[in-house]
Amino acid sequence: MIVLDPNGEKLNLMPLNVGPTHPATHHCIRLLAALDGETIVAGVSEIGYMHRGFEKMVERGTWQQVIPYTDRLNYCSAMMNNIAFCRAVENMFGVEIPERCKVLRVIVNELSRINDHFICVAAAFQDLGGTTPFMYAFNPREEIMCIWEKLTGARLTNSFARIGGLYRDTYDGFEREVLAALDSTEKALKDLHACLDRNRIFLDRTVGIGKISKEHAISHGWTGPCLRACGVASDLRKDEPYYDYETYDWEVVVGTQGDANDRLQVRLAEIEESVKIVRQALKRLTPGPVDIVDPRIRVPAHKLAYQDMEGLIGRFKSVYEGIRVPEGEYYSASECANGELGFTIVSDGSGHPYRIKVRSPSLNHVAAFSEIVEGLTLADSMATLPGLNMIAGELDR
Amino acid sequence: MESVEKTEKIAALLEEKFGAKRDAKARWDVAVVVAAEYLPNAVEFLKNDPDIRMDMLVDIAGIDYLTYPNHEGPRFAVSYAFKSTVNQGCRLRLKVLVGEDCPKVPTLTGFYDSADWLEREVYDQFGIVFTGHPDLRRLLNHVEFVGHPLRKDYPAQKRQWLSTNDFLLPELEKRLEKLGYRIVQRSKEVLPNDDEFLEGSIRE
Amino acid sequence: MGNVAEKPNIITTSLDFLVNWGRTNSLWPFPYGTACCAIEFMSTEVGRYDLSRIGSEYVRFTPRQSDVLLVAGTISYKQAPILKRMYEQMAEPRWVIAMGACASSGGFYDCYCTVPGIDHIIPVDVYIGGCPSRPEAFFDAMFDLQKKIKDESYMKQRAERVKEQLEMIKAKTAEAKAEAQEFAREKISLAKDFVVEKEQELVKKAQFWKE
Ligand code: SF4
Repeated sequence: MIVLDPNGEKLNLMPLNVGPTHPATHHCIRLLAALDGETIVAGVSEIGYMHRGFEKMVERGTWQQVIPYTDRLNYCSAMMNNIAFCRAVENMFGVEIPERCKVLRVIVNELSRINDHFICVAAAFQDLGGTTPFMYAFNPREEIMCIWEKLTGARLTNSFARIGGLYRDTYDGFEREVLAALDSTEKALKDLHACLDRNRIFLDRTVGIGKISKEHAISHGWTGPCLRACGVASDLRKDEPYYDYETYDWEVVVGTQGDANDRLQVRLAEIEESVKIVRQALKRLTPGPVDIVDPRIRVPAHKLAYQDMEGLIGRFKSVYEGIRVPEGEYYSASECANGELGFTIVSDGSGHPYRIKVRSPSLNHVAAFSEIVEGLTLADSMATLPGLNMIAGELDR
Repeated sequence: MESVEKTEKIAALLEEKFGAKRDAKARWDVAVVVAAEYLPNAVEFLKNDPDIRMDMLVDIAGIDYLTYPNHEGPRFAVSYAFKSTVNQGCRLRLKVLVGEDCPKVPTLTGFYDSADWLEREVYDQFGIVFTGHPDLRRLLNHVEFVGHPLRKDYPAQKRQWLSTNDFLLPELEKRLEKLGYRIVQRSKEVLPNDDEFLEGSIRE
Repeated sequence: MGNVAEKPNIITTSLDFLVNWGRTNSLWPFPYGTACCAIEFMSTEVGRYDLSRIGSEYVRFTPRQSDVLLVAGTISYKQAPILKRMYEQMAEPRWVIAMGACASSGGFYDCYCTVPGIDHIIPVDVYIGGCPSRPEAFFDAMFDLQKKIKDESYMKQRAERVKEQLEMIKAKTAEAKAEAQEFAREKISLAKDFVVEKEQELVKKAQFWKE
C-alpha cells in the first residue's frame, strides 16, 4: 500500500503476515506488520488461536475438578497454577494450611519457576538460532521432571495441590534428589552464562531491542519478570507475602533497561534466587501432616474412609457434591512464573464454581507486543517475542 | 495490615465522592459498586490522587448473574481490579452493574493501556459494549462466531466453525492512520476476490 | 510401462525396500505444537530422549520440507483453517500424527471453541493418547509410523500413479481426437457448403449470361 508519512513523504509499505505458524510465534499470536524495507512501521496482532474455554468448562464441574484445568493454564509450571488456585479457595474458607504443606508448596513453587524460566530462555535461544543453550537448559529440567514423576505421577500436568493440602506427602529420598537437581541447575546456569554473557551475536541481537518504559509497562499491566526487567521492584512474594516468603533470604531481581536481553537475564537471575529459596526451605521441612483435618474441605485419606463412618461419609459427600465454598466474590493474586496470576472467583455457595475468571499475565504482555516492535526490524521483533514468554494456554485460556 | 486500612479509607472516600456502595458480596477483599456514569471520574480519581495512585488496571471480569440463586438487580456486572505499584499491597475492586437491555459501560482505554484488550475480551465473552472503545472487536473467538459464549444461556457445546481467518488489514490501516500516516492507495489484498478468499477454507 | 511393476519382481521389491528404508529413517517432523503437548515434544527432542536416534532430528518449521505433520495440542476453531492449509501445503508423501488427547479427540475440553479431534479436518495416521503423551509413547508412535511406511510399496504406488496418468493421457488424447474430428467435420461441411454455394452461384451466373 502507498501511504504518506507524517512528514508528507510517499512510502510504499508492504503488509506482511507473521504467524501464527511462524516458529517464533508458537502458534498463538499473529502479527500483521506494515514493512518499510525491513522496518516495521505499524503492527497489529491477534490472539485467540488456543482459546479452549477454561472459564466455561470449570463452571460445569465441582471445585476440585477445576484443579486439572488450572494445570493447563501455564503448562510450563503447572503446579504453580494449582497452588495459586487452591490458595484462593483456601482464603475464601479462611483456613490455614499446616506448616509442612506450606514449605512443600514453596519448594514446588520455586522448582516450577526454575522449570518455567529454563524453558523460556531455551526457547528464546532456539528462536535466535542457538541450539546449544537449549540442550543445556533442558538437562536440569529433565531432572526436575523426574522428581515430579516420583512425587506426583505425571511429568508435565501434575495436579498436585488440593484445596486444603496436597495430593500426598513426599517420598523417601526427596530431599536428596532435590538437592542434586539444584546442583545441576547451578551447573546449567553456569554453562548458560558462559554461552550468553559475552556472546557477540546474542548481545547484538537483544541489547536495546524491544525496550519499554516503566510507565508504559505499568499502564499495560505488566507484572512479573517482564516488569522487573524495566526496573520496578514489584514481586507479590515480597509485597503481599504468603507462605512465609518474606522470612526466606532472597532478593527481588530488577533489570535496568527493559529490553529483550534484560528480560532473559532477569529470568536467569531469578533461577538463582529460587535455588536459594529451595535450599532454605529444605532445611525447614519438618515432619507433620500436609492436609488440614476438615472433611468439608479436604477429602479424608483413603485409610480413614475404609475404617470409620465419618471418613466414608466425608469422602462420599465431597466427591459427589463437591465442597461448598462460602458465598461471595473474591480476587486473589499469586506470583507465578510469568507474573501475577489472579483468579476472580464468584461462588454462590453451592458445590460448583459459579464463575472463575483468570487474570493471565501473558495477555497483558502480548497486548503490548505490537506496539513495542514498531520501529524495529522484522528480525528484531522475533527476538523480542520469546522474552515475553507467551504461553498459549495462559494467554487464551 | 496497613494496606487494608488504606483500602478501607479509599473505599470510604469513593462512597463519599461518587455515591459508591460497598459490595456486600466481597467478603474477603474490598470492592465498591459504582454507577456506570461515574466510573470514569472514579477511576480518574483513583489513578491520579497522589495518595492513592492506583496505577495498574489488573483485570476486568464480566459476571453474568442469570442463574445466581436469589439474585436481584441487573443481570451483568463488570468487575475491575486495580492495584498500586507505588503503595505496595494496595488493591481495590470496582464493580459496575449492567442491565440486560442496554449493556453499556464507558471505556477506560483513556486511562490504562491494558483496558484495550481486557475490554475486548469482556465484549467478546459477554456482549457488554464499552462505549468509546477505539476498536471493539472480538478477541478470543473468531469473527464468524455468533453469540457470547460465557453468558449462562449459551450452551457449552454449541460449536461454530470458522471458514477462513480474517485479514486484519483494515485494522492495520487504522493503526497507520493513528500513527499519522495517510493512506493513498490501499493494498489490493484488502478486497480479495472470492476464489482467493475461500482457498484452503473449511466449509461444511 | 505400467504393467512392469504390477507383479512384484526382484527389481521392484528391492527398489521398494530402498525407498522405504530411506523414508523411514529420515522422517522430518513439522511440529504443529499449540499447547502443553508441544512442551513434551520439546523434551522428546533433547538429551534424555533424543529424537535424532530415529533420524528425525531435523525439525522443520515449514510444511514444504517436512514429511510428518505432528499436531500436538488443542486445535480451536480459530486454528482449524490454518491447520488445514498447512496440511495442504505439504508435499506427498505425508503423514499425520495426532499427539495427545486434545488432538485425537478434543480431550477434556468439550467446549464451544475446540475441535473434537483433528480428524474432523485432516486424515490422521497415528493417534497417541495421554494428556500429555509421554516421550516414550511418542517414540512408540514413530515406530508404528515407520512400520506403516515399510509396508507401503513405492513401486506399486508409482505404477498406480503411472497407470492413472496413462489413462488420463489416453482419455485426453481420445478427447482431443474427438474434438479434432468434430472440428474437421465442421470444416469439411463448411467447405462443402461453400462449394455448393459457389456452384449455385456459378450456375446462376451461367444461366444469366445464357439468357
Ligand atoms: S492433550 Fe492434555 S497436555 Fe496435550 S494439549 Fe491437550 S490438554 Fe494439553
